[in-house]
Amino acid sequence: MRYPSASKLVVVLALFLLQGFAFAQEFPTAPNPPRLVNDFTGTLSAEELGKLEQKLLAYSDSTSTQVSIVLLGSVGVYDISDYAFQLGEQWGIGGKGKDNGILILAAMNDRKVFIATGRGLEGAVPDALAKRIVNNLILPNFKTEAYYQGLDEATDMIFKLASGEYQADEVMAEDSPVLAILFILFFIFIFVVLPIIKNRKDNNNHMGGKGGGIDFWTTLLLANALGGSGRGSSGGGSFGDFSSGGGSFGGFGGGSFGGGGAGGSW
Amino acid sequence: MKKILIPVAILAVLGILIYSKAVGTYNEFVQLEEGINGEWAEVQTQYQRRVDLIPNLVSTVKGYAEFEQETLTGVVEARSKATSVQIDPTNLTPEKLAEFQQAQDQLSGALSRLLVTVEKYPDLKANQNFLELQAQLEGTENRIAVARRNFNESIKSYNATLRVFPNNIFAGWYGFAAKGYFEAAAGADKAPTVQF
Repeated sequence: MRYPSASKLVVVLALFLLQGFAFAQEFPTAPNPPRLVNDFTGTLSAEELGKLEQKLLAYSDSTSTQVSIVLLGSVGVYDISDYAFQLGEQWGIGGKGKDNGILILAAMNDRKVFIATGRGLEGAVPDALAKRIVNNLILPNFKTEAYYQGLDEATDMIFKLASGEYQADEVMAEDSPVLAILFILFFIFIFVVLPIIKNRKDNNNHMGGKGGGIDFWTTLLLANALGGSGRGSSGGGSFGDFSSGGGSFGGFGGGSFGGGGAGGSW
Repeated sequence: MKKILIPVAILAVLGILIYSKAVGTYNEFVQLEEGINGEWAEVQTQYQRRVDLIPNLVSTVKGYAEFEQETLTGVVEARSKATSVQIDPTNLTPEKLAEFQQAQDQLSGALSRLLVTVEKYPDLKANQNFLELQAQLEGTENRIAVARRNFNESIKSYNATLRVFPNNIFAGWYGFAAKGYFEAAAGADKAPTVQF
């Protein structure tokens, strides 16, 4: 009776996949590998895409503020504002807790554009300024089909407004030094103090003379190595952190959108 | 002696099971309800933000003397009405919510009439101050929409948890009742008509 249950499993899996597919039609799933600039319409050339991606990536690496650009055909029955908030929320643009993400969404066939600001950036990029960016930088360029130009100028202005608002995470910033010190002290106690106490009582260690057990310096080294590895594993690896060395984007961090931003149509 | 012990033990185990289930369910209700209170606070904050924007808007528009006075007074009246309807989060009944929503919808209607009328005044439309206020107003409407959607989602999970068996029995004991949703405004499916 293994075969029917296996086929059932396949059916269930297929249903799940279909569901995912139906869902994906309404909101595109987050790109994998993750990218900040996503053009589903083929409006921008590969070179323009690369330049924008590098620019946004550098800003995200240095400030942790994630500015993302999405070009798609149509938002369907949605208001473009509503679509932008839901897409930004689903992809999680911006860091978790900081909510410092910005989504520039353009629906090319609808000829509509919207800048959605994450909750954490509503102060740095208030709606009135977002509206000005749309009206003065994006729309005039989009009207003449200078799409790259418009997005380039708009992101420049957003960088200016948002800079200083957030700092990039340092890899070990969240570790409290107290914990590390306690950790080291614990190891010193286990490997140094306990053997010393023990050796005081029990001198019969077949090592010739007092002492024996583990050498003090070895212990220190060991404690440091262990302490160091403990710190490393708790510091890195979280989805919201970004590797500073790599040339590719590490992924969206789970930011949230509360309805800030402004848009227009060309 | 042993014959009595076994049923007693079974009863005791059953009693503990029911008790822990009851406590767990109660705590779940409380957590969901607190979530709703938070979302409701957000909804009210955003509506309050809109109400706070209106005096600026009115004073900006008033500068254009020829502007229709009745449209302005309509906004001011709807504003004072909307501020008079406040709901305590512990009393989020469907009726109360409908009343609150009606007052806010009136204000939305008055505001959109005002914005439509502004179309007739090119000077006002080009006024930087007015443009900023308009952007803020649009942003506030967006925030209201997001806050309302989040509120409805938490109401949905609360109501769904409340009404399934056996939680519905526990809910009756504790006095938790289903809460009301924000509905789309009456006539919201019709686009406002613009007259020139």
